[in-house]
Amino acid sequence: MKQTLMGNDAIAWGIIHSDIDMVSGYPGTPSSEILGNVNKLKHQMNLDLYAEWGTNEKVGFEVAYAGAVAGRRAAATMKQVGLNVASDALMSAAYIGNLGAFVLIVADDPGFHSSQTEQDSRVFAKFAKIPVLDPATPQDAYDFVKIAADISETFQTPTMLRPVMRVCHARQIVDIDEETNFKPGKGEFKREIGRWAAVPRAGRIIQGYEQIERINALKEYNWENLIKPEFDKCKGGKLLILTSGTGDGFARETLEDIGIEADVVKFKMPYPLPENQIREQFKNYEKVLVVEEPMPCIEEQILTEKVHGKLDGTMHVIDEMQKVYIQNALIKIGVYTGADLYPVVPFKEEIAARPPNLCPGCPHRDIYYAITKVFRKKKSIYPSDIGCYTLAINQGAIDTVLCMGASVSMASGFSIADPDKYVVATIGDSTFFHGGIPPLVNAVYQKHKFMLVVLDNSVVAMTGRQLPPQRENKEIDIMKIAEGCGADVYEHIYSNDIQHSLDFFKDMKKVYDEADGPIVVVVREFCVLDKEVVDDHIPLEFAEVVPEDCTACDQCTTIYKCPPMAYNADGKVEIDPFLCIGCGACLSVVCPTDAFVQDTSRGIIREENK
Amino acid sequence: MRYQVVIAGFGGQGSVFLVKILALCAGNKDVACLGTENHGMSQRGGAVSCTIKLGNYTNPVIDANQADLLIGLEKNEALRNVQFLKPTGTLAVNAESDFPSSDINATVFQVDAFDKAKKKELPIQGLNVYMLGVVVSKCEDFPFTEEDVKQALRDFNPKVAEQNIEVLEKAIADTKA
Repeated sequence: MKQTLMGNDAIAWGIIHSDIDMVSGYPGTPSSEILGNVNKLKHQMNLDLYAEWGTNEKVGFEVAYAGAVAGRRAAATMKQVGLNVASDALMSAAYIGNLGAFVLIVADDPGFHSSQTEQDSRVFAKFAKIPVLDPATPQDAYDFVKIAADISETFQTPTMLRPVMRVCHARQIVDIDEETNFKPGKGEFKREIGRWAAVPRAGRIIQGYEQIERINALKEYNWENLIKPEFDKCKGGKLLILTSGTGDGFARETLEDIGIEADVVKFKMPYPLPENQIREQFKNYEKVLVVEEPMPCIEEQILTEKVHGKLDGTMHVIDEMQKVYIQNALIKIGVYTGADLYPVVPFKEEIAARPPNLCPGCPHRDIYYAITKVFRKKKSIYPSDIGCYTLAINQGAIDTVLCMGASVSMASGFSIADPDKYVVATIGDSTFFHGGIPPLVNAVYQKHKFMLVVLDNSVVAMTGRQLPPQRENKEIDIMKIAEGCGADVYEHIYSNDIQHSLDFFKDMKKVYDEADGPIVVVVREFCVLDKEVVDDHIPLEFAEVVPEDCTACDQCTTIYKCPPMAYNADGKVEIDPFLCIGCGACLSVVCPTDAFVQDTSRGIIREENK
Repeated sequence: MRYQVVIAGFGGQGSVFLVKILALCAGNKDVACLGTENHGMSQRGGAVSCTIKLGNYTNPVIDANQADLLIGLEKNEALRNVQFLKPTGTLAVNAESDFPSSDINATVFQVDAFDKAKKKELPIQGLNVYMLGVVVSKCEDFPFTEEDVKQALRDFNPKVAEQNIEVLEKAIADTKA
């Protein structure tokens, strides 16, 4: 059955057609749609499977992994930095193995499109000594889930599927099974303390040897089933290109563009590689080029003098793949001597950048505006965290971003290192649950004095608006959690009246001055992209600027920074009617000369359209 | 057939919607396609560029100097992406009349759809479909017909198909006039 699918849709179908019936994980671009799509298909086809978000990747991994320990087919989904969080569980699980199938789906982000780090999860699989499959296209992604599930069950090892952003968010006509004969398994935990309880040392060293045997057996499997058939099709000659994942597609197109014949071998499973059998093939070629991203995972395993790639500087070493890099590599190793087919000729004039910014009407903007107005930038430090609100960096309202939950622990550290400053940390609700609670316990434990502002819009906004714990179960209350940790807790209900937020934080500054430990502020917000609630919060008060009153003071464009606000050809601020959503927040406070007024005609039009 | 398209705009304009429509067009005609979306970090108002490659391709990304067609939903996003166009390619751009068409090494079709939306000739949400209509009407090597696009709009969402088809037809009528 052919369907136009995005890679993450294809993976969801692959999960269901592999009879995987337990899926857990944590959202993160570019992986997020996988679990969401499994849930969608579950409801559409009324399938008996478990697919729910965990509070973080480690939790998600462990819930799914327990399913595989009990004999079911399970999968965990996350992005590459999420695997760092789940790595503790992975390293032990790699020794212990599983009875059913455990497919660990980790989406990488070469090119840093939406991540702090590039990373290569294939290298992580190698570190953990588990097999990894690297799809090149949505079709591969669908097919490889099935291969991964079978390998995992056969070899009793967690098996990674590592798509990159250009697979997850690629779109293709994908051929999937005609029918869905979903057969969920039934788990039955079999007590085997020596195996499942990872205590040192006797049991672990045995499992360590078993793991090495498993990897050697997987090398043979890889050669016989996946690699040898590819080499059998090869002709030999001047050039052999070795690839996996998206590198394959880039390499084949480049060869076609520049008109060079070469053998291209795609490793479906780039680790573990049967290095000796592969090296044996090199005698048929003058040169070998490895095209892979983002790190030299294949190259390090099969390196010989003939091999060129990242390690000898032939290929680029960071950032996303482009065909021009392969063309230039072929020039460097003397295989291509023709013209540059990919010359970059940008438009002659510089084009205004469109820096990442919070959405028009986003409550975060007002809260950050109030924080920086009350806690003056010169006298304070603003640690923040991972989520939409990180975009307030554009307002100059964020000083540090490290990883999930680090705003809280770094606030602790800054309070010790630079005690004369106000430390005002910000974190979203989902991030608070993910990694913010243990450092808050620590802060109370150690009496670290800072303010933690939890921006609670009750949605995991940046990754596609997944529902966080308190939205699914109202019993979970961030305020009670923070109180339970022993912090002083305050609540602020956001409104589009910025003065209201300014007054609140002025009061909080007094509280801060008197405090001797952490203060937690929970700001009750909403997300403008959250269709279920947004109509209750956006009053459809559109703004326009009275040009005579605008003194070009930059306040709105540099401190408040709402995307519709920009200077026009006359040097006056103008509101872009296509971007303004009518939140009305800027109508007070923001403009020192009161040049922003309500555009009543637009409000009425919008109402008529509703 | 081989045909490479870049769609450039900013968040909220519906660049991704156009990729979906073109993918549906391809699917209906049994043409292989491979596309991808590159959203910036921002949800609304940030740069978004999407690609779709029609025909037998193996990677979804378009390198510089390769695209046959660039649909620019906004002036600056069009200019930022002109490097992907090959000299024999086509740019369809939504921009005011001062758009520097003569500085671009490709065939340029420029219309001010923003202005038409301001005058309420078409709904704001229809700007993307309007630009697709411009392409269907003006771009001679575009591989899909008006009927192909209409079918894809119906397949995508029958509920709003008629509104979208109206916008498409308006664009075609406007540009032929």
